[in-house]
Amino acid sequence: MAKAALDDLKVVEYAEMVSGPMCGKMFADLGAEVIKIEPPGCGDEARRHPPYPGDEPHPEKSAFFGYLNTGKKSVTLDPATASGAEIFRKLVADADVLIENYPVGHLARLGLGYDALSAINPKLVMASISPFGQTGPYRDWQGTDLIAWAMSLTGYNTPTLVDDGERENPLRAPGHPAEMMGAANAAAAAMVALAARDATGRGQWIDAPCWQATANTAKLEMAAYSYVGIPFSRLRANVQVGLEPLPCRDGYIYTLWAAEAHWRALKQLLGNPPELDNEIFDDLAGRHENDDILRTLIRGELAKHDMDYLVTEGQRLGLTIGPVHTVEQAANHPHLAAREAFVDIAHPMAGTIRMPRTLVRMTATPPESRRAPMLGEHNGEIFARLGIEAGAQAGLRAAGVI
Amino acid sequence: MGRLPLEGLRVADFSWIINGPQIAQWFATMGAEVIKIESQTYIDIGRTNPAGMADRKPGMNRSGFYHALNYGKKAINLNLKHPKGRELAHEIIRRSDFVLECFPRATAEGLGLTYDAMRKVKPDIIMISVSLLGKSGLDPSRWVGWGPMACAFVGLFDAQGYAGGPPRQTGGTWPDYAVASTVVFHALAALRHRNRTGEGQWIDASMGETVIGQMHEWFTDYFMNGRDRRQWENRDDVMAPHNTYPCLGEDKWIAIAVGDDEQWAALRGAMGDPEWARDAKFADQYGRWKNRDAIDARLREFTRTRDHLQLAAELQKAGVPAGPVLDSVELHQDPHLWEWGYWWKMDHHEVGERILPGMPVKLSADEKLNYSYPPDLGQHNREIFGGLLGLSDAEIKILMEEKVIY
Repeated sequence: MAKAALDDLKVVEYAEMVSGPMCGKMFADLGAEVIKIEPPGCGDEARRHPPYPGDEPHPEKSAFFGYLNTGKKSVTLDPATASGAEIFRKLVADADVLIENYPVGHLARLGLGYDALSAINPKLVMASISPFGQTGPYRDWQGTDLIAWAMSLTGYNTPTLVDDGERENPLRAPGHPAEMMGAANAAAAAMVALAARDATGRGQWIDAPCWQATANTAKLEMAAYSYVGIPFSRLRANVQVGLEPLPCRDGYIYTLWAAEAHWRALKQLLGNPPELDNEIFDDLAGRHENDDILRTLIRGELAKHDMDYLVTEGQRLGLTIGPVHTVEQAANHPHLAAREAFVDIAHPMAGTIRMPRTLVRMTATPPESRRAPMLGEHNGEIFARLGIEAGAQAGLRAAGVI
Repeated sequence: MGRLPLEGLRVADFSWIINGPQIAQWFATMGAEVIKIESQTYIDIGRTNPAGMADRKPGMNRSGFYHALNYGKKAINLNLKHPKGRELAHEIIRRSDFVLECFPRATAEGLGLTYDAMRKVKPDIIMISVSLLGKSGLDPSRWVGWGPMACAFVGLFDAQGYAGGPPRQTGGTWPDYAVASTVVFHALAALRHRNRTGEGQWIDASMGETVIGQMHEWFTDYFMNGRDRRQWENRDDVMAPHNTYPCLGEDKWIAIAVGDDEQWAALRGAMGDPEWARDAKFADQYGRWKNRDAIDARLREFTRTRDHLQLAAELQKAGVPAGPVLDSVELHQDPHLWEWGYWWKMDHHEVGERILPGMPVKLSADEKLNYSYPPDLGQHNREIFGGLLGLSDAEIKILMEEKVIY
């Protein structure tokens, strides 16, 4: 069996839906013990989120939950009760990391804020993921993935090159992109804090907002304003040279022909059509100046060729060009199969579900996804470890604490 | 200033453009010494892209595209096409914990920047390679490309458009930033492993695979149910209304997302409880989800005559999740982003006062991260070649003449 990079770490995850759980999954896939605290009864809201096998809703069968919670242990616990809070403190007392994504101030109101927890466990790294951050005027705003996304310039600029600014409203990227960015930033910052802790013995509190995470994905577009003074616009009429998927005979391709070498490669790829042999396209400035004429000509030429020819031959000529796949085409692509980009995960109730495997390849300590837990599956194991005997557990269960 | 969290670590950074520099910026701002290895033979195009030049005046040290991604680092010039350049690169790598590169596979191999070569130079090195679709596998591992091409390849653009329409492009270069934070996490996990065992490794990151992980439900739905969702607009699987709606002014919008009955009641209240919203078919969440198009049409009428900033604040006050779609001017002026500490100001010797994006996370023990100004081309040649490698001024001068330090 391959080695795991983080098998000496204990992580407590008190989080639901996407951002916190995705962060916890990153730790779990590298071998950390991740104890996920779920609300008694209903569990993580993601358990009630599609897709399900055969579209039949069932709290143990959501593939949405199944992907975001690989390799974790599930306990049910209500920290809003006094005995629940006590168990929460015991769980965190020897944890390396606590991940949480509840509304700002929620844990502090339960007496479980960073100050209280670091008094118990000074080595604790606590990662709080929220829509807008722990401070600032919007900290108490209710955010969702759509809202954190839409408020960023990447959100404004999706889709790019809009013809009809009335009808083409800004769109969210597929999935929960803002929460995914917040999760990745929180995970990265938590590892930074752990590296510091190994040197100093002190943990710290990480504030990882999803909006700032998404805003930060438009650094160049924002710099265009601060440096050049141009407010960024998504309207085609205001964009001199824009990029977008372009139709070919049997689908779409995506390419860029700014550099001189790329421009020559593109002309060659298209069979050096005489229409492109025009002095107004001879230099970059001319191509930019006449982008609308050029683009129309190129669209006409691309329509004569198949995607496979354009991509294979274009790449051979050194052009940056690639296919625009559907999800179905990507899911069946031999390159992704050769990379083992997807993995079958067997689950006692959901059956075997094929999922994206892991985010990156590591040669010595490869990430590995194991199945998600059933609700409260590890109550017995974890609570016994905390010294709560079976009889006491039954009492807590009857009281709705676990 | 106290000790920064990654102090004592060193990164030999051969990366350029966006994803590699963003990874290195995490390391640099958090306290690692990042040596950005550039060369006149392949200048980071962030430095030269005319679209980023401060006040449109060209110059190697004037581009906002470079500045926004490279503050906190040290920059040296080294020509890897020269054998002596390679030797000096190896000397830096021997003193580093990480090597970072994001070249196309053929270029990386041509420059000797492969894990097999690196581990011979330093056995416990952690090498980070970032690419479009991974540096192993079939032909696509040899393609040249940049972030958006990864989205196109894995189906994100096809899932991005309006129902029945063509595939559309997600704004910016999303996968570059997504892969960056993801890689930082895994690289620091690899560091932990090295510190425990003495073993280094190779991290082979694919922008495409990072994006696949972010849109996992598209893939599980396809694999389980044979369904390709295609263009999904702003639909959510559970919430409704859940969309962006037009506001007063040109290209102004507001995002509204209603997740439960309480928020729906709050939205109705904020609209003055109009007759249409009392319809029984909108009474529960599933009813609203089924009839989301009808709600959207009505909501658009309501939002169209209102200011996006003001309406968002009013809806939030009433208990409705909402947010204005902000343009670059509004983002630069946003009171929350300033107060939270996202933006920072630099007074640069060539471009004067500029606003730059800071790190999108805060660490409580490190109020001040390393935001040293973005380096001029070759600014740290003397410090690194003289200080770190111990070369004399005379030796450095000769290497410059030989176009090794170049």
